[in-house]
Amino acid sequence: MKRILTHFFWAAVAVLAAFCLGGIALHRGERINSTWLVAAAALTYLVGFRFYARFIAVRVMALDNRRATPAERLRNGHDFEPTNKWILFGHHFAAIAGPGPLVGPVLAAQFGYLPGALWIIVGAVLGGAAQDFIVLFASMRRDGKSLGQMAREEIGKVGGFTALLTVLLIMVIMLAVMALVVVNALKGSPWGTFTIAATMPIAIFMGLYLRYWRPGKVLECSVLGFLLVLASIIGGQAVAQSSTLAPWFTLSGETLALAVMVYGFFASALPVWLLLAPRDYLSTFVKLGVVLMLGVGVLLVRPELQLPAFTRFTDGSGPVFAGKIFPFCFITIACGAISGFHSLIASGTTPKMIAKEWHAWPIGYGSMLLESFVAIMALIAACVLQPGVYFAVNSPAGVFGGTPQAAVETIASWGFPVTVADMNALARDVGEANLFHRTGGAPSLALGMAQIFAQSRGGHAILAFWYHFAIMFEALFILTILDAGTRVGRFMLQDFAGHFHKPWGRTSWMPGVIAASAAIVCAWGYFLYQGVRDPLGGINSLWPMFGIANQLLAAVALCVSTTILIKMHGRRYLWITAVPLGWLVTVTFTAGFQKILSPYPRLGFLAHAAGLRRQLDAGQIAASKIGETHAQIFNDRLDAVVCSIFLVLVATVLADSIRVWTGLLRGTREAKTTETPFVASNLQEDAI
Amino acid sequence: MKRLKRFGQFVLDLLRELSDENAYRRHLAAHGRAPSRAEWQRFSDERLRARYIRPRCC
Repeated sequence: MKRILTHFFWAAVAVLAAFCLGGIALHRGERINSTWLVAAAALTYLVGFRFYARFIAVRVMALDNRRATPAERLRNGHDFEPTNKWILFGHHFAAIAGPGPLVGPVLAAQFGYLPGALWIIVGAVLGGAAQDFIVLFASMRRDGKSLGQMAREEIGKVGGFTALLTVLLIMVIMLAVMALVVVNALKGSPWGTFTIAATMPIAIFMGLYLRYWRPGKVLECSVLGFLLVLASIIGGQAVAQSSTLAPWFTLSGETLALAVMVYGFFASALPVWLLLAPRDYLSTFVKLGVVLMLGVGVLLVRPELQLPAFTRFTDGSGPVFAGKIFPFCFITIACGAISGFHSLIASGTTPKMIAKEWHAWPIGYGSMLLESFVAIMALIAACVLQPGVYFAVNSPAGVFGGTPQAAVETIASWGFPVTVADMNALARDVGEANLFHRTGGAPSLALGMAQIFAQSRGGHAILAFWYHFAIMFEALFILTILDAGTRVGRFMLQDFAGHFHKPWGRTSWMPGVIAASAAIVCAWGYFLYQGVRDPLGGINSLWPMFGIANQLLAAVALCVSTTILIKMHGRRYLWITAVPLGWLVTVTFTAGFQKILSPYPRLGFLAHAAGLRRQLDAGQIAASKIGETHAQIFNDRLDAVVCSIFLVLVATVLADSIRVWTGLLRGTREAKTTETPFVASNLQEDAI
Repeated sequence: MKRLKRFGQFVLDLLRELSDENAYRRHLAAHGRAPSRAEWQRFSDERLRARYIRPRCC
């Protein structure tokens, strides 16, 4: 009887999921409530988790709780430590949840809510979550080895080295684009800039507090830090209203870019406990709290989506970024559906802490579903804005010609009416001087979140507080990625340079620390600065490059996973990773080729450079702009080269993998397993 | 009420894990040492060094 009821329950869930997905896919005309999106996502995740992930766990991985995990066998109280399933779930989710799933869906909303929503749901269930789960499983069965180590062992030295180089290059682009999001959010905003500037002395105070005054009291220190950050948000309003202080914190994009670079350098070179680690603790708690608040807010308010299912910009003429719905919707969503970076986490700390093999099911697959749900929330936050407001905020000045009047007229001609007065009133409500051309996704996400928070608590009167709270959350979160990423990049570079001159490899050797930190900061800082000065807003060129890079890293992870599946089962379950891999390769290579070779100047780097070159040759560029135009031409060509390098690197890993797969499937290569042998577990689940 | 208490305990445990406080306790237990400023600094330096050599997620 219980079995029949269970079957009936899951059949009902599946039917409801299909009904909700059909509802959002087929609904046209009247506005749709966000509850449909939430229900469609949640129910589809449940079905995917219960059936698809369980199928992978039982048939493909043969998870076995009688088998001791590395956490049990190699337990050392540090890295290897059996940990409660749900605590590790939270730990893993906190590690994989970055700003990508928040910003990507906001930008992709220019196509309407439907394409992004469907890809976030389907991509996560069939691609992203399966990838994370399989990489976690593979690492867990190999004593917690990293993706690079597994690539070297499963594919070969070429694959391993290429994977490492890909990670370093991708990090440079990722740091640049994330920094650009922060700069665009703080540009001309004294309130936001003051709040974020205040987080730095707060972090240093926390560092000293933890180091000398109350050693080990991280939670207590983080609560203090959070209260101080809240005070800085309130203080930011006073700063913005002060005619003496406001000019000090009203900074241009260029100045902010330089400030972020200086910050990145110091965060990388200073002792980690002083600035980086306390910020990281604070950021983790704020991140989890705000994600939870957003989820609860959406469920309480159940806002209507103002953007249509599809906009006219599916044809590639979008103002936020150029490119057709295929492949650019999939590139832009990035981490909300599938993320290469997750494979680095799934082969990092987490596999060393799993107590029982079956825990990998909720931790590996379930965490990615939750991340995908966060992406759905971000999409909802963007889509609750009036479409006219969304496009006025997210479109660069270069699209309209500069004046607010020209902007609203163009946006109204697309069928999304908005007035200058509306935009000014909204800017006043949130305590900003101007909301036009605030590209990058962060301000529009903050606007959407502020509206949801204000409707659930506090009302219109505290809209400005919620807006700046959301901006603080995004910037704090992103700057933590930036400083930690710069430090990691510095270590990778020092490690590499150590092969040529031994002292470079020592991470405490000060000349090496300074030179490597400066080199990494200059690398991402260059792309950041070009993005800030780009008349098309920077996001138009940098975000797709980041999306391509991230999805290419996922392709590397899927190559490793496919090799492991072939070694385990031959061709039988090859499709589980080969289908998402084929899709990702198609999408990323199409996007990459279009970004390099498209004849449309807004899309293709080389076409844009050629257009500027023609204008220069024809004498159509003002004398004062000639130097800037030469720089733009150089940047376009550099972007094309970087994009080409990504494609070549991944083509190398793919070709090497295909060589290995062919050998394995034909039987000319031995399918030698690299799994650690079975050791019986003595760990009782109740004891964890 | 019991469930609420258990949930509260879970949230606290999660926060302690995320803040490395649990890891510090394990470190003290594994080495048989008492909490002190020097011990925290030793633990924290080692843990943070290991943490910030790994790429962060975007």
